[in-house]
Amino acid sequence: MSTRWRTIASAAIALVFAGPLLFMVLASLRRPGMAPPDGFELLPPDPTLDTYDFVFLFIPLWRQLANSTIVSLVAVPVTVVVASWAGFAIATSDQARRTKLVAVTVVAMMVPLTALWVPRFVIFRWLGLTDTLVALMMPALMATTPFYVLIFALAHYRVPKHLYEAAQLDGWSPFQIWHRVASPLVKPATFAVAVLAFVSYWSNLVDPLLYLNDTDLYTVPLGLRALQTLEPQNFPLLLAAAVMATLPAVAAFLAAQRAFFDKTLEVSP
Amino acid sequence: MKGSDRLAFPFLGGLGLLIALPALAAAALAFTEYSGLGAPRFVGIDNFERLIGDSGFREALGNSGLYVLMSVPLRVAAMVGCALLLHRRARGSGAARAAVYMPTVVPDAAYALLWLWLLNPLYGPVAGIAAALGADTPSLLTDPWGARLAIVMMGVFQIGEGFVIALAARRSLPGALYDSASVDGASGWFVTRKVTLPMMAPVILLLAARDVVLALQTSFVPALFLTDGGPRRATTYLSLFAYRQAFRYFKLGYASAIAVSMFVITALAIYAQYRVAKRYRLLG
Repeated sequence: MSTRWRTIASAAIALVFAGPLLFMVLASLRRPGMAPPDGFELLPPDPTLDTYDFVFLFIPLWRQLANSTIVSLVAVPVTVVVASWAGFAIATSDQARRTKLVAVTVVAMMVPLTALWVPRFVIFRWLGLTDTLVALMMPALMATTPFYVLIFALAHYRVPKHLYEAAQLDGWSPFQIWHRVASPLVKPATFAVAVLAFVSYWSNLVDPLLYLNDTDLYTVPLGLRALQTLEPQNFPLLLAAAVMATLPAVAAFLAAQRAFFDKTLEVSP
Repeated sequence: MKGSDRLAFPFLGGLGLLIALPALAAAALAFTEYSGLGAPRFVGIDNFERLIGDSGFREALGNSGLYVLMSVPLRVAAMVGCALLLHRRARGSGAARAAVYMPTVVPDAAYALLWLWLLNPLYGPVAGIAAALGADTPSLLTDPWGARLAIVMMGVFQIGEGFVIALAARRSLPGALYDSASVDGASGWFVTRKVTLPMMAPVILLLAARDVVLALQTSFVPALFLTDGGPRRATTYLSLFAYRQAFRYFKLGYASAIAVSMFVITALAIYAQYRVAKRYRLLG
């Protein structure tokens, strides 16, 4: 395909995927209390950010933002360490162990999480974790998703083998080699996984829906759910809240996307 | 490296605690009656007998099956198609790659609210564009098939993870292959069909198998926000059905039996795909 066609295809794809998100922002700019538009309109007449203030009258968004932040602050670092260790183990083990570890990781990716909702709820209740934010951080113990382990495995695999061998000759332990040799060399992968993990905890609706009753512990996605039940037809209000919930995730992703696409995914160095 | 596999222990422990243990607990609880209060009471295979006779379960199973049949081919085609178009470093391709990933980054709840707005029949953008084109105002969400279609469409935009896996797979193909093809004067489409897609077949199959599993999950939030399982229960998927049994009616034993059925269905679906792949020699 010629370069020109590729450029046109890129532009078309970008428009299709990013286009709908634009409507979220545009429709949130309607003045609160104004009657809904009479038919389709792209931008409301004299656009304003006033509706954003109104969101705080309906739900305690500050508190929910704080709860979401607390969950991410704990879960993201734990995820990164667990995933990086496991990825390093996959990349540096001997053939037989590597095959086993990859098999376990891929099988874990195939487990339907929906089937685990009820038994996890029961186990968390026995452990006294329901109605605590800890329940929302728990997936960090399994690197949140095996996908992150595979990203790290790929990154650690690309570190030149002779660096590991030299460190081994110096008598360093695997942990020391991970810490001092491998980690500094896989920084882009670390950054990418940290951001993806942040986005996943920030966005998670299902876990808080299952494990939290106490409204003081609600995270931002549950706040959106509550707002929808309070004001199901008030689209400017719902979309203003949606924009505020989305901004941190999109900002983090945009900051990391170069590290993610350009460095992490390169298979040959 | 000797002993480096020990660094995988926390991850393996996490899998044990959060996947293996709950899976065993589901298998055990499926044979009990349990409301969350008191102790579970053993009832033998009652739950499974009830499950087979439950028309609500059969309906949810059918809805999830339809969702998989409609959504997985579209999503995998979108993942691979976008990866093949955007894998090169070219002007605008970096921005396009970020744009493809963007809807995946938007919190599901916010994304569902956006679609509720887009599809709203009175003044939503989709109705507006349809009206401008002279088409009937679609009332997608009040029609059973329209609602199913709408939820499938939403999912086609959230393909970020599969897209990057396809992208990595495409970039890992040796460039020499393509040099010799271009020397032979093969057309782009011919090379895609005869070289690229067969070489990527194992990854595409992995994506499809994973997407069948994900389908149980990705359909949950849209069904909760957009349709509440309706109209006429057309979008009550297995996940929503199990969620209601467990967290609205507190039938945790019965919901565990549904969870066990999800494991069985997923395993069967993956096995079926594996057999098809073997039969057509797609696994190399």
